[in-house]
Amino acid sequence: MSGDDTLAPTTPVESGADEPDRLVLHARDVRFDWSELDLHWIPGEPFATHVINVLHLLLPEGERWFVEVFKQAVPHITDDELRGQVLGFIGQEAVHAEAHAGVLDHMDAHGLDPRPYVEQIAWMFRVVLGDRDLSGDREFAWLRTRLAVIAGIEHYTAVLGQWVLDARKLDEVGTDPTMLDLLRWHGAEEVEHRAVAHDLYAHLDGGYPRRALAMGVAAFALAALWVRGVRFLVANDPYLRGRIGGRRPRASWAVRDGRRGLIPRLGRLARAIPEYLRRRYHPSHYGSTSQAVAYLAVSPAARAADAAGREATEREAAGGEGAQ
Amino acid sequence: MKNTPHWNADGWERGGGRTAHSAESYAAPRPPVSLFGRGGHPDRFMLALERVAARIEPLTSRWRPGRRSPSPTGDLTVRVARVERPARDVAALTLVPARPGVALPRWQPGHHVDVVLGDGVVRQYSLCGDPRDRTAYRIAVRRIDGGTGSGLAHALAEGDVLTLRGPRNAFPFARADRYLFVAGGIGVTPVLPMVRAAHAADRPFRFVYTGRSRESMPFLDALPAPSRDADVTVRPDDEYGPPDAAELLAGLSPGTAVYVCGPAPLIDALRRRVPPGTPFFSERFSPPPVVDGRRFEVRLGRAGPVLPVPEDESALDVVLRARPETAYSCRQGFCGTCRVGLLSGEPHNRDRPTGGSPRGAGFALCVSRADEGTRLVLDL
Repeated sequence: MSGDDTLAPTTPVESGADEPDRLVLHARDVRFDWSELDLHWIPGEPFATHVINVLHLLLPEGERWFVEVFKQAVPHITDDELRGQVLGFIGQEAVHAEAHAGVLDHMDAHGLDPRPYVEQIAWMFRVVLGDRDLSGDREFAWLRTRLAVIAGIEHYTAVLGQWVLDARKLDEVGTDPTMLDLLRWHGAEEVEHRAVAHDLYAHLDGGYPRRALAMGVAAFALAALWVRGVRFLVANDPYLRGRIGGRRPRASWAVRDGRRGLIPRLGRLARAIPEYLRRRYHPSHYGSTSQAVAYLAVSPAARAADAAGREATEREAAGGEGAQ
Repeated sequence: MKNTPHWNADGWERGGGRTAHSAESYAAPRPPVSLFGRGGHPDRFMLALERVAARIEPLTSRWRPGRRSPSPTGDLTVRVARVERPARDVAALTLVPARPGVALPRWQPGHHVDVVLGDGVVRQYSLCGDPRDRTAYRIAVRRIDGGTGSGLAHALAEGDVLTLRGPRNAFPFARADRYLFVAGGIGVTPVLPMVRAAHAADRPFRFVYTGRSRESMPFLDALPAPSRDADVTVRPDDEYGPPDAAELLAGLSPGTAVYVCGPAPLIDALRRRVPPGTPFFSERFSPPPVVDGRRFEVRLGRAGPVLPVPEDESALDVVLRARPETAYSCRQGFCGTCRVGLLSGEPHNRDRPTGGSPRGAGFALCVSRADEGTRLVLDL
């Protein structure tokens, strides 16, 4: 493979003076209470709600798979700083997965059983993208291919994370504040750790064809799964029974709600592919760490997690009597 | 269950019980059946994805890696160029590259370095100098009675050579319209460069510097001069009494970002009173120390080595020395990354998995323990 088929060095270009860098990543022990959540948590907008709800269907099993694949990669890492970032990433992803799984229980409680769809996603990640009974060089090559898939998906999660941090319209229309906090806490952590999967892939492989192919497949699958997810949710929503305002959902609604700012614009999602395929792509060129850390500093869930973690530390230090 | 903290106790579970959608519940997914139309048919789309993967795997297995990213420069070797005593029990060290002519890595206000103080003792100290100066780092260390790290740091003399790692950022300094900075004692070290940066950028700020007494507070001579946009208050306890969170936060206007570094009670008091929507930053805490631990043993696999876990260490600490590739993350028992299979033994589970996912048969190396003198056999 020629030298041109490689990635830019992992050191990001000089970022703006206001962009914090070299962040130590850590998981936050967030908890969310869904007992008061409406099924249509963007009021009066069941279509936009379900477009975003697809994330709750994809992410629990998707992020559990990220964790498994990354854990397999840890023994191959020879850079201590990167290992630290990867370990922080794993913890954040593990918490994300369980936070979204909690929303699935809430769907159950409203009579929308997400299991048939989520079980397909589980099959995709655990069987199709699982270990495939390989050994030796093929096992390691498949690991690198899967890391390339994750690096591609992580560009999307960073783009989506930045979108939700910016999505003022969701506040204006009265979106459920707890759900908005979940989405923005998650989005902020995705922006915060957006370079890790890319840097890990660059460390263990770095080849361009593998990463380009992985992004192509991942973007196609993600788009198809998203459309299927919306169809599934609208069809199984006990209040909608397949129809919104008497009509079956159509693609133009996604364009309309994107323009209104309720969901990401399709154009932005499409543009992510050529961005990612640039030879000099580095995740630090997209998204704002400053904005991400600023949100984490106001997020009710992240603030509560910090307070609880600190108080647990002090309680332990004070005598080990546990929660009182 | 005295002496056995269970973190699933009240106060942790804010809503939500156990999830029905745990990882375990999806452990053995059935082959995909169609979601739409009359059920029961194999899902053609999902099966097509499997065919794609079955082709991509052998194809990409022949692809060689590209040129790997350049190896990191690794640890930094520095020399102590100057030792100062800016306050009682405080040593300020100026560290320069051991090899002359080498520029130190860039840093920003809030960054820290890991300082290797010998014998496996590594401590994190905030950089408190000028970020534009690439020829030297500055750290300041308060001596704590009986503190291993601070004792070693205070024993350093000019000319000593040290290893650093980093710099890294656990206290990000983000752009805001205006700032409130609160520092307590030696907590001034990360805050001082932030104050200077806000001052240089002409952002209005208030800086309250608390401490026991003026003699114990370093860098009083290095604070920016007060002006209309730079409200600097030095507030020693022996002159004003202990700081009161409400007083520190008085007059806080919307859009102000609050940065605090100091003793834990000060941080907690402010965190509780900062209004929702006001950004609150404090340096993140280190993992809790092991308290009330008993000595037990772990065996790594049925035929593997037996390792003692001392009272004051976690099983994770011990396992990492033997198996440095072990994955872990939060070190507080909530993320589940370090959970491993337990082959035999009676564990004391102290983890509190997020989202109500059942613990399963896993043993969380970072927090869970066992009875004194007993042995756990881990699937490692």
